[in-house]
Amino acid sequence: MKYAKKLNNLDNVIVRDSLKNFYVNGKKYGYQFELKLDYYRGHFLSVIDEFEVHVDGERVPDEHIKFCINGKAFSPIEFDKCYSEFWPVTEAAVIKVIAPGGLAEGEHQVDVIMYYRSPYMPIGDNHEYMAIDNCGSRKMVITDQEGK
Amino acid sequence: MANIKTGITLFSLGTLFVNGDLNFEDCVREAANMGAQGYEIVAAESIPSYPYVSDDFLALVEKCKDKYGIAPICYAAQMDRGMLKDRDLTEDEMVARAINDVMSANKLGCTVMREQYLLPPKGLERLAPYAEAFNVKVGIEIHNPESPITPVMLEYLNVIEKTGSKYIGFIPDFGCFATGPNKPIWDRALSKGATVEQLERCAQLKYDQVPRDEALKMMEKECEKTPALSDAINSFYGFVQFKKDIRKELDGLIRMMPYCFEMHGKFHYVDEKLHEPAIPYEEILPVIQSTDFDGYIMTEYEDEGGYDAVLQCTRHIAMMKKILGAQ
Repeated sequence: MKYAKKLNNLDNVIVRDSLKNFYVNGKKYGYQFELKLDYYRGHFLSVIDEFEVHVDGERVPDEHIKFCINGKAFSPIEFDKCYSEFWPVTEAAVIKVIAPGGLAEGEHQVDVIMYYRSPYMPIGDNHEYMAIDNCGSRKMVITDQEGK
Repeated sequence: MANIKTGITLFSLGTLFVNGDLNFEDCVREAANMGAQGYEIVAAESIPSYPYVSDDFLALVEKCKDKYGIAPICYAAQMDRGMLKDRDLTEDEMVARAINDVMSANKLGCTVMREQYLLPPKGLERLAPYAEAFNVKVGIEIHNPESPITPVMLEYLNVIEKTGSKYIGFIPDFGCFATGPNKPIWDRALSKGATVEQLERCAQLKYDQVPRDEALKMMEKECEKTPALSDAINSFYGFVQFKKDIRKELDGLIRMMPYCFEMHGKFHYVDEKLHEPAIPYEEILPVIQSTDFDGYIMTEYEDEGGYDAVLQCTRHIAMMKKILGAQ
């Protein structure tokens, strides 16, 4: 596996206590949590090379993921086209997962695998840039989003 | 005789900012309290609407100016040449982005812009008329391992002199005058089992200009036992490399001084006696002071050692004033 730099400016890229079920038409339709960039600056979404969400050890299909930022929602398959969508370093993205019925009460293990290119740090001549590790893991107790 | 002003890049407080311990206004207030006369913004760090300046952000900057008396002087742009998944940006695309940055810098009231060397010399040349129209002087950052005498920087110098434009030039970063290992790297290696004696031997290999691969080979057995040693050797030869004698680099700086719009006062650690062990400020600042340089030296703390960033920047500004005052 190739080397990826981990900055560790943040203790954890997954925001504490951010795991919540969400509702559509009065029914639990999925869950969400918040994710931050562990870097000193923000990035365009097009720099993301790998993005996976695993919950309780199971990989979530990409089709069920909505990455929400700037009032918009993107699927991982769209990241490479999002070269003008900027993710500010102080703002958390909301990762929504479509899962009818939501997650059961109690504690859940959330793992994010995310690697991206630092697009101003070339390490070779052939479109090679420093890989940055933005992975994170957190155990969280699920709560329900209020009023929805 | 130079006219040197003291500023700080808000990048110095980046860890506190990213963690939400300080917001933008807090950073400006801290900068003012430290005695900065102006500040630099890393646009992709501080501006949520990057690469544009929203009216909300502009209003915040103006409010801070009213409250704390200091304004942004330099807009530090980023050249994200690798932003697309499958290929590098073309020169046309990079120039287009850089023109946007010039416009954003102007909207914020900045008269200087840091550009990164991924914008090729020809691209910098193409930027000159826009820089002039928006009254933003665009300086290519000279960052270690580049220096004022490395070939790529001399290419920029050639273009700058050829155009005769007063709006394209350089922003040297003092990291390129490093004469020793910095404290965070040294301390990290010590904490992971390396000894002072081993580190001194590694540093000596760099001073003796032994090539990196050869140095790693000579230390191979010890590196196997203590992997932190190979990390240290790699950094001694990477972006924080150093050499014994920087006279040639300082002569190169003097040569390009007419085109220097600002300096980055890079540092890793200033001790209680106001000394930076890796970067010889006592040698660099008198050279600048003896020229006609008119601009800011922006305090730039490279926060890697986990020290108190506010204390470190305060010490750095005190160190600069002490050295400059003694001349």
